[in-house]
Amino acid sequence: MDPGGLDAAAMAAAMVHRGPDDQGIYVDPGCALSIAARRLSIIDVAGGHQPIANEDGSVWAVLNGEIYNHASLRDRLRRRGHLFTSATDTEVLVHLYEDYGTSLVHAIEGMYAFAIWDRGARRLTLVRDRFGEKPLFYAERADRLVFASELTALRAGLGLDPELDPQALDAFFLLGYIPGERTIFRGVRELHPASVLTWSESAQRPDTSVYWSMPPRPAGRSETISALADEGGHLLRQAVRSRLAADVPVGVFLSGGLDSALVAGIAATEVTGRLKTFTVAYDVGDIGEGVTARATAERLGVDHREVTLSSSQVARSVSELMESLDQPNADPTLVALHTVAGLARQEVTVAVGGEGADELFGGYPRYRWMNRAALVERHVPPTVARAGAALIRRLPEKNHVGRLADVLEPAGFAQRNLDWVSGGRRTARFELYGPRLREHASAHRELKERGTLCAIDDLRDVAACAMALDQRRYLPDDVLAKADRATMLVSLEMRTPYLNRELAEFSATVPASVHLANGGKSVLREIARRLPGISDAHRAKRAFRVPMSQWLCGPLAPLLEHQASGGSLIGEGWIDPRALRRMIDAHNRGAADHSGLLWPVLVAGLWLDRLRAH
Amino acid sequence: MRILLPTPDYPPMTGGIQLLLERLVRHSRFSYEVITPYSPGKALRIARSADVTRTPRLADHRATMAILNAVTVRRAAALRPDAVLSGHVVTGPGALAVRALFGVPAIQYMHSKELSERPQLSRLIVRHASASVAVSSHTRLQALTIGAPAAKVHTILPGVDPKLGSRSRTVPREAGPPTLVTVARLEDRYKGFDVMIRAVPLIRARVPDARWVIVGDGSLRAELEGTAEAYGVTDCVSFTGALDDDSRDGWLDRADVFAMPSRLMPDGTGGEGFGIVYLEAAMHGLPSVAGDAGGGVDAVIDGETGVTVDATDHVAVADAIADLLLDPERRARLGEAARARAEQLSWACMADQVDRLIESVVAAKR
Repeated sequence: MDPGGLDAAAMAAAMVHRGPDDQGIYVDPGCALSIAARRLSIIDVAGGHQPIANEDGSVWAVLNGEIYNHASLRDRLRRRGHLFTSATDTEVLVHLYEDYGTSLVHAIEGMYAFAIWDRGARRLTLVRDRFGEKPLFYAERADRLVFASELTALRAGLGLDPELDPQALDAFFLLGYIPGERTIFRGVRELHPASVLTWSESAQRPDTSVYWSMPPRPAGRSETISALADEGGHLLRQAVRSRLAADVPVGVFLSGGLDSALVAGIAATEVTGRLKTFTVAYDVGDIGEGVTARATAERLGVDHREVTLSSSQVARSVSELMESLDQPNADPTLVALHTVAGLARQEVTVAVGGEGADELFGGYPRYRWMNRAALVERHVPPTVARAGAALIRRLPEKNHVGRLADVLEPAGFAQRNLDWVSGGRRTARFELYGPRLREHASAHRELKERGTLCAIDDLRDVAACAMALDQRRYLPDDVLAKADRATMLVSLEMRTPYLNRELAEFSATVPASVHLANGGKSVLREIARRLPGISDAHRAKRAFRVPMSQWLCGPLAPLLEHQASGGSLIGEGWIDPRALRRMIDAHNRGAADHSGLLWPVLVAGLWLDRLRAH
Repeated sequence: MRILLPTPDYPPMTGGIQLLLERLVRHSRFSYEVITPYSPGKALRIARSADVTRTPRLADHRATMAILNAVTVRRAAALRPDAVLSGHVVTGPGALAVRALFGVPAIQYMHSKELSERPQLSRLIVRHASASVAVSSHTRLQALTIGAPAAKVHTILPGVDPKLGSRSRTVPREAGPPTLVTVARLEDRYKGFDVMIRAVPLIRARVPDARWVIVGDGSLRAELEGTAEAYGVTDCVSFTGALDDDSRDGWLDRADVFAMPSRLMPDGTGGEGFGIVYLEAAMHGLPSVAGDAGGGVDAVIDGETGVTVDATDHVAVADAIADLLLDPERRARLGEAARARAEQLSWACMADQVDRLIESVVAAKR
């Protein structure tokens, strides 16, 4: 019970960054529910106050995100007699609910987390979008269900800070993010993507169900790559167009890779006036994206801005960012995205990005390596393969030869996949653990969960399985969580055209082998080939990378040093101080690159220090 | 009159073009010789009035068509027919060669899909044919777009078998769950199976016990079954596979609405040439929900014999279907109007129009 809506108000106040423009609170007359909303005004800037109700005030809604097809839905609802008081997408939800109930999820296209309160039925419905672009957390406390778009806000509603979940922390050090419905706090859960949660006054417990999943990949389509590009290109253009619609300025994040270049190339032809694009560069390492992005921008004739994340700035940026996160995320590109989001926010309120393309269209090289490994597994006896791997590992050169050893080494699909994405942390992380974490660490938990998510019974299509796994795990829990926080912390909305339902379903009708041809993302490459201004420079896979190894023994070294000497991770017994010291020394000496573990330690350490300081 | 009819599509292969040409031959006043490749399938049950010359069917489609065209010319040399009616643009070259060599009028049948799939060949054929037959106003527009002379393109709508749906006229519909039915080969994406799957949860939100039955089989079936699973609708979506005519008619008798929201694909292909199946459903007293693009708009008259909607919009499709399911009086009215119109569009009527066109072309030549 929250009679005056005070808890809801406190929760809203904890996430002003997500909505700096407006605040609203609704308290049910029966005191069954209070909901608050912060608003970043994008559609109907003046008239879109939330929460919003239907004609007779029997249905109330708050929305975080965007419903891209709200205009056509509004027209349909109007023709059916519904009365609208605003032009916002949120108001569409309450009227859709009146007609379709919770099946309204099948009518909407967008990125969203929303809540609908049905006063008559005394029922709350929480919904999260299909791919997990917008977060939605909830916790049960006695007779209450508390929910929010960020853990920071949820904590404000819970009163006492919940305990850390050691299993979540273990998963974080393994993967660099917290997977599934678990969060860093014990007893607080994140609603799965494409899920509906209902809570009624009578039942007093949440009931969740999944309303959509990516269709399984069929045996294959026989169309040519050209025909696939026709269809995919049309759908991508539609998706880009829908994501450019706003009553505020919109720009595009442009890295050096294919995905964002393709989005920018299409967007440049869809906007009136010059498209604004934004990128980030570094002053160390040789992996800057600035040059390629600049060249692409020139060819496309867009208005391009670049920010350099210099070594002198990085320590402050990292420190501020990690302390602001609602839970740790060690995606190395988080800091870069946050920096470029800050640049973009000076000129636009919405930025469109290329997230999701790699997972849907087969962009990661690991998919091809997984296929090669499966081929070896089918044709080479395990003892021979194991001996070959051991022999190769003795060779001095590491990089590609090391990969060959990984391919040869016999391992099940889930283990090989996990080893690949965790970069050796599956075993190495245990060395770092202090007593408190060691007792909860599990070598098998994540393996088991992955096995459940993607039961593979056909080794001939391991790439398809790896893609499906990434779509359900890595994409929502790392990539999209990172994108949401990096941008919303500076009050910038990020939109992702690749995560359009129809486009995603189209991608699932294309066999993985077709996606992986021609160096991966073959359909997107064919679409790009037809667009002027997208050059061969985008042929190679270019991840949005950062010079983490150099940063950790350079500008970030003092922060790391502080963690080793007096950080909360050490103080509370999560991390072993001597092991951490050894790892830092080895990294600084150049004896080994331990950035895969040192970075998560730094992220979690900064985050925990801030939590304890409050 | 003796007419030569080269075509790649003829029974026992099934499909709209095959059916149309066979019924044309059956109901025409003229004597036809059909030239068509060998076709796997059950024993022929085709018009006795036609002589059928079978040409080899090779793995290479182009070679098969080259032989078909060559045989057309050879048979024309032997028969000296009054006219050659090409059943598909791929047999157009043979028909034009016959016209050039022997002065025999060449008439081209146009369905739709082939015009967008083979634009260059189609352009050549329709520009040089003595006359063309378009199966719908959509096909006619396609032909004009690629340069066919307007005066030479004649729209003649296909027909339907008069015996279809006889049971539904006398036996009342069985009580059962509200049922949507689609009859189609599961080969072409433009027929809107995917949009239907997206629409089903919205239809069920308004008509909770509604079910959708898909009669037909094809290479898309596994993919569509997977999509139905992804949308959690496997309990109310049934794929029957290919059925014999009686079983298919049984579903049409039990259904409340025929749904096939065909659309034009992004590259301009797809869409129904006409959609004979809408008329077949109409003969069972069913109103149809069809796409508002392509030849289907000639088969389903919006607001009279069914509803045409934007078939790229699954919400529009869902609303159109649910509105019909929730309004039995309107459903019955549209269904009866659909049947009445279909009864007028008989195969005999279509064949008569084609006969008269051929006569006029032959007379003009003389």
